[in-house]
Amino acid sequence: MVDFDPQLVADGLVYSSIIVLGSIGLSLVYDIADFPNFAHGDLMAVGAFGALAVHGSLGFPFPVAVVTGMVIGAVVAVLTNRVVFEPMDAGPLELLIASIGVALIYRAALMQRFGTESQSYDVGGQAPIDAAQETLGIAINVRAVAIIAVTLVLVGALHAMLQYTSLGRQMRATSANPSLARVSGIRTDRVVTAMWVIGGALAAAGGVFLGLHTLIRPRMGFDILLVLFAAVILGGIGSVYGAMAGGLVIGMVHELTPAIPVVPTRYNTAIAFVIMILILLVQPSGIAGGKTSA
Amino acid sequence: MSVLEVRDVDSGYGDMQVLHGMSLDLHEEEIVCMVGPNGAGKSTVLKTVFGLLEPWSGTIRLDGEDITGMAPEDLVRRGMAYVPQVDNVFPPLTVEENLRMGGVAREDPGPVIEELYERFPLLDEKRTAKAGSLSGGQQQLLALARALVVEPEVLLIDEPSAGLAPTIVDDVFEDVRKVNELGTAILMIEQNARAGLRISDRGYVLDQGSVEFEGNADTLLEDPKVAELYLGG
Ligand SMILES: Nc1ncnc2c1ncn2[C@@H]1O[C@H](COP(=O)(O)OP(=O)(O)OP(=O)(O)O)[C@@H](O)[C@H]1O
Ligand SMILES: [Mg+2]
Repeated sequence: MVDFDPQLVADGLVYSSIIVLGSIGLSLVYDIADFPNFAHGDLMAVGAFGALAVHGSLGFPFPVAVVTGMVIGAVVAVLTNRVVFEPMDAGPLELLIASIGVALIYRAALMQRFGTESQSYDVGGQAPIDAAQETLGIAINVRAVAIIAVTLVLVGALHAMLQYTSLGRQMRATSANPSLARVSGIRTDRVVTAMWVIGGALAAAGGVFLGLHTLIRPRMGFDILLVLFAAVILGGIGSVYGAMAGGLVIGMVHELTPAIPVVPTRYNTAIAFVIMILILLVQPSGIAGGKTSA
Repeated sequence: MSVLEVRDVDSGYGDMQVLHGMSLDLHEEEIVCMVGPNGAGKSTVLKTVFGLLEPWSGTIRLDGEDITGMAPEDLVRRGMAYVPQVDNVFPPLTVEENLRMGGVAREDPGPVIEELYERFPLLDEKRTAKAGSLSGGQQQLLALARALVVEPEVLLIDEPSAGLAPTIVDDVFEDVRKVNELGTAILMIEQNARAGLRISDRGYVLDQGSVEFEGNADTLLEDPKVAELYLGG
């Protein structure tokens, strides 16, 4: 039914990278704070515009701008939690509603500072790589390769951190049983802050990459939010590894839609949801089987 | 001298009061056993002492210092450890990782963890196994070992023998006694009241959130009224 087209796979990997980076933070927040954070997409946009300001206005090299964008994402995430979510000390529904308000505030601030026009990073790298054209027969540019490569590095670093560092183990312990974590002596408030930092930084990186792959717009993150939710739910809510797997699948499906005959390409987001529902029918707790972030 | 002192504590969940003027003492090097019917509030005592529940009134002292309402992560750093009744291991973490979590509050937990492996060879064999894959008895042992990594002065244990096969129950009690012999004062809850009291110095009988009887373990075991009401005749 679906013809194997390496071009679509390449496109899928780029889109998946962006979704994976966004999904991880969404899943972490779901895990530790127990609510779907509707501001997470707009946090991606904050990161994208942060990098734009550092690169475009201040003239720093692009890699520096990406890292700065990630720092901005982390700081904004932590501050939002400290100023809004934590003091509310409320249930999931209240926090969800509040997060919609936070999303609107992020977006309004971006529009006020940067306007509503679409913008792009002035970094080149848009011409297809000849070697890829000749050997694989696909049109892929340096930007796309960089997005995939950096995402792999970030995801690999997160995995190493979770498995082999004390903070990572404390994060997994806190996610498995917060009260036993405190009983063991873990300062869970610090662990929670670390999770917001990681989620915020990765979201910002995803935002920058989305801006690099398409355009930078204040609505960019909000538009991708539903796809992120699909990835997180598919992976198994609250599981980091599930979010990675779910992001990969959803991103792929999203870009492979053109290969399905009859179905118009603009149904790609709908198809992603259909796939999500089909997989959940078979495996109701998601790909990671409802396990925590271990 | 009392290492742990609970005085006139009221506590509960939400609006529901469970403990009514609860008082107890744990002396140095003692094992004290708390017994009583289901729902008497035994676990609530330990949760309140360990900072998981804020007491409504009353005071709790450790080594004479007021620790009322202090957070669990701070109490661990003051020499107290706690093994909860349920969910007392991290299932997705390995045995080794569980023990390391028990050691986050201290410097260089490595040597103590190695000692614990020597004391509990069963855990040594399972170092890389996920805690969730262990049997009930092994998990109980891991939960105890996790609490011991800080080498606590005071150890609170909630029903160490719950859900274990009778053959292992004796082993667990033996382990608890050994921990005590190494100088740790233990406040233990035991559903298996007679067996629990037998390895203890003193006991408290809790009913409906306050102490009904207290005394030497032997005295309680021989008291016909306690036996009839709380030890199943
Ligand atoms: N998390 C909770 N929320 C609300 N009520 C609770 C909670 N935990 C216990 N209770 C209630 O508090 C009372 C005392 O419970 P507690 O667990 O302290 O009893 P227990 O003596 O330890 O009993 P058991 O022998 O069954 O372990 C019971 O009525 C119980 O239903
Ligand atoms: Mg109990």
